[in-house]
Amino acid sequence: MKEGTRNHLKIHLLVLGLVIVTEFIGQKKIDLGIGVLALFPMLYALVIGGVISWPSFKWVKEKEMKLAANVLGIAFMLFVAKLGTMLGPSLPKLFEAGLSLTVQEIGHFIGTIILGLPIALLIGMKREAIGATFSIDREPNLAIISEKYGADSPEGRGALGVYICGTLFGAIYLALLAGFLGSTGIFHPISLAMGAGVGSGSMMAAASGALAVTFPEAADDIAVFAGAANLITTIIGTYVCIFFSLPVTEKLYQWLEPILGRSKKTADPVEGKSL
Amino acid sequence: MKQKAMILSIIGLIALFGNWIGYKVSPIEALPGIIIIVVVTLIGWSLTEYLPFKIPAVVWISLLALLITSPALPGNSFFAEQTAKINFMALATPILAYAGLSFGKDVDSFKKLSWRIVIVSLVVYTGTFLFATLFAEIVFKIQGRF
Repeated sequence: MKEGTRNHLKIHLLVLGLVIVTEFIGQKKIDLGIGVLALFPMLYALVIGGVISWPSFKWVKEKEMKLAANVLGIAFMLFVAKLGTMLGPSLPKLFEAGLSLTVQEIGHFIGTIILGLPIALLIGMKREAIGATFSIDREPNLAIISEKYGADSPEGRGALGVYICGTLFGAIYLALLAGFLGSTGIFHPISLAMGAGVGSGSMMAAASGALAVTFPEAADDIAVFAGAANLITTIIGTYVCIFFSLPVTEKLYQWLEPILGRSKKTADPVEGKSL
Repeated sequence: MKQKAMILSIIGLIALFGNWIGYKVSPIEALPGIIIIVVVTLIGWSLTEYLPFKIPAVVWISLLALLITSPALPGNSFFAEQTAKINFMALATPILAYAGLSFGKDVDSFKKLSWRIVIVSLVVYTGTFLFATLFAEIVFKIQGRF
């Protein structure tokens, strides 16, 4: 057997094993008193998969990890197609909620900046904060930043830092956050579902999964509205980031940095070697 | 494209197992649904690759899947019923398993990051999720929908 084929076989068999084991475990809800943690198969698969690929164990070769990442890109499209088939029959329902769907998109785009930029400045980031907070920093956003500032600029490194964090724990974090917020009863499940459409496939899948576990009676509607919001975020995302998010973040930085920024420059806020 | 078709079929097959164990739908019953999803994905992808103007595959695949299941198209109920037999969470489990298995390659770059960027990343994800949810909720409340 050729090495490429063997790598393929190993990765797919590992995934099959993970799916069988995690689906057998099934959904669990853990009540923390102030809210409920929603745990479910795709989260276990993500975490156990991560442990299996942990470099020190040497169970999975670098080449196989890259292969898994490539397959991931292809696999996502199946999920996109599945969500599409849920959107079709729900079109009337989606049009009815059209105004909410439109307005919540503004929340997706300004939310990263409004909350992220001040906090980044308060903990001592400089221009790294622009790249880190102008968007959720997935692949298309990285391209926008490197084109404008260069990949090795402070802005570029800020964006790359958030990208790496997002790849490693973005999905898990959003799932826990969505499940927790859902269980507090502050927001309606459909509002939360739209919130889950952040524009990254894995984060959206995990967050809407957590909501579906928290509100089983609304599971299908949650997938529909999260899928719709995610599709809109993805389609308009690049344009919004180029013409709105990036210039606005830059302006806000110039205004807020003298007020919130620390006067002494932090050694290296992204790669904290000297800390 | 041939390789993509191969990989999509493998993932589809794995999802059938997950759908069987987790959601008690027999693989034979769910087979037409997953075939439809795989074929839609492949057609959407070909459109991206062979059409002269560039639109991302995500958009084509979504639109195509939406179109064949929408009330506007005759025969939509067949497509909608068959694909409904695949639970969306059952399809997401193998996908996130691949994501998990690719983690190791980013661990080294992550170890070099400062605590600041880790905090900021969490704040950024919270911000986008929370503000979108809040805005949706406000509009629904103003409209008196719930």
